[in-house]
Amino acid sequence: MASNPGQVRGNLFRLAAIAVGLLALGVVPAFIDPYSLRIVTGALMWAGLACAWNIVGGYAGYISFGHSAFFGIGAYTTAILMQAGIGMPFLATLLPSVVIAMIVAAIIGGPTMRLRGAYFAIATWAFAEMLMQLATILDITGGTGGLSLPAYLNEFFFYYTMLAAAAASFLGVWYLIEYTRFGFRLKALRDHEPAAEAMGIRTNLVKVQAFALSAAITALFGSVFAYWTTYIDPMSVMGPEITDQMVVMVLLGGLGTIWGPALGAVVLWITNRYIWSTFGDTVVYLPVLGLIIAMVVLFLPNGLISLIVGRRRGRELISRILRKF
Amino acid sequence: MDLFLQTIMNGVLIGGILICLTIGFQLTFGVLHVIDFAVGGWAMLGGYAAYWLVALAGIDPFISIFLVFVLFALIGRAVGPLIYHVRTSRYARPDLMALAFTFGLFLLMRGGALWLWSYNSRNVESVFSGEFLTVGPVTIPVLRLSAFLMALLISLGVFLLLYRTRFGMAVRAVAQNRDHAGLMGVDVKRVSAYVYGLYTGITASAGVLIATIYSVNPSVGVRYTLFAFFVAVLAGLGSVGGVLIAGLALGLMESVVSTYVGTRYSLLVVFGVLFLVLLIAPKGVLGRGI
Repeated sequence: MASNPGQVRGNLFRLAAIAVGLLALGVVPAFIDPYSLRIVTGALMWAGLACAWNIVGGYAGYISFGHSAFFGIGAYTTAILMQAGIGMPFLATLLPSVVIAMIVAAIIGGPTMRLRGAYFAIATWAFAEMLMQLATILDITGGTGGLSLPAYLNEFFFYYTMLAAAAASFLGVWYLIEYTRFGFRLKALRDHEPAAEAMGIRTNLVKVQAFALSAAITALFGSVFAYWTTYIDPMSVMGPEITDQMVVMVLLGGLGTIWGPALGAVVLWITNRYIWSTFGDTVVYLPVLGLIIAMVVLFLPNGLISLIVGRRRGRELISRILRKF
Repeated sequence: MDLFLQTIMNGVLIGGILICLTIGFQLTFGVLHVIDFAVGGWAMLGGYAAYWLVALAGIDPFISIFLVFVLFALIGRAVGPLIYHVRTSRYARPDLMALAFTFGLFLLMRGGALWLWSYNSRNVESVFSGEFLTVGPVTIPVLRLSAFLMALLISLGVFLLLYRTRFGMAVRAVAQNRDHAGLMGVDVKRVSAYVYGLYTGITASAGVLIATIYSVNPSVGVRYTLFAFFVAVLAGLGSVGGVLIAGLALGLMESVVSTYVGTRYSLLVVFGVLFLVLLIAPKGVLGRGI
């Protein structure tokens, strides 16, 4: 890909930055107390979820209001497979969870992604609500009573699992979007679907692939979340608040950028925990979320990331800093 | 047979209110090209307004509905230009940004109601509460009948406004073609803002009626948004006439499922059918146009 020296240097710089970042995140648990560690673990999970939503919302240009369904599919798959009767080990449940989410996404996405954006939003929303209703009725999901999982109280394990999942999601998505044909097709159809079709791109196929990828990542985090909290019920893993947060995090950080969703997720999750520790509950968080969406749409349509990295401006800033050393 | 007649009657009475709930939503989509996620939020807030007017001033909901209409029409008239601004902005995807904006509004309403008034349901008392009419084998609560008639009256008012006034002509012109209507001297921005105000007023009034029949709590908004979506999708997005049939269809469907299958399945069936309709006939079963 990189053919001129500038690009090679840029890529090396990026790889070095990623390595430093991962190393820093890797040693974090040694320096903070367990409570803060839980908050950071949560921030990693939401960053990964925001990254997943961004594939469909930001890169394909289709707003999904039904991602809580995939989070729930992942959580319930892991919970059901780990129940006493079946008793699979946690890591073995990840594959079924991801595969089921991808199959469901392909079934749902195939027909609905032919529809225009507004219909897709309604369809995914109706689907998520339907699945939540189903989870409250069925026996296998434990109805409204929910399911308990075997408790594994090792915060370090969950921190590193979330870190691995989040890092894999971000780097995988970054590679797929920026360096593969799939990414180019996806961005082409977002910018102008008829034109992309005229160029010979099978837009429906690409859209469904993107939706399935997004669903798979969401389900993966759902699985880890279920094992982490050890108890799930329909509201906690399929409730509308999960989708709400994913949407707001991506919009706040920057729709259709790689690192924007991570930034939005970290900012919002810390806000959430701060409100929770100050007021004792998170009721006031919901109107704050709503207000943030409205304000971002009105005044900051490109998200927080546009303030920090004005693309060229940000790179110039970094190189100017580097030259001083 | 008696049970069947009763079921049909209940369905029709609820259907009338669903028509009232969706008619403004359709108008907004036709004129502003915005799917308003906040539709259930406006209805929920209307219900709360009626509750507080009874609790604090002792005004019967069937009188306060007019106050609620005016109040929410003014609020909507103020919010409308913001939505128009987002929808006609130079963002990469103005349609999605407008959708996200109304989603944010809805979250603000739902969260605000939860924060201010907590989870518990509140009943809105009316003079008609607890009275019944018996017609042959069918028992009709007077409350539901009056709410039904009120809903039909409001819907009739909308149709008269649309088809018998100059303002209505301007609205229909904008819905048909925004640019051409603008060239003919219609102030598109102002018409859009007034349509949004009209929509919020009507929807809040429908919310008053629903709150009087059932009760109101912060989470009912989600269900009303879904019902409005269902009726709108069945009628074809933007079709005002189709709402008359689609609203009754949803009312009947919900009533039949609740009676013969079980109440806890009614939402599941509604979601499922909505999903199927979207897949099979996304343009609506009943055609489109204002």
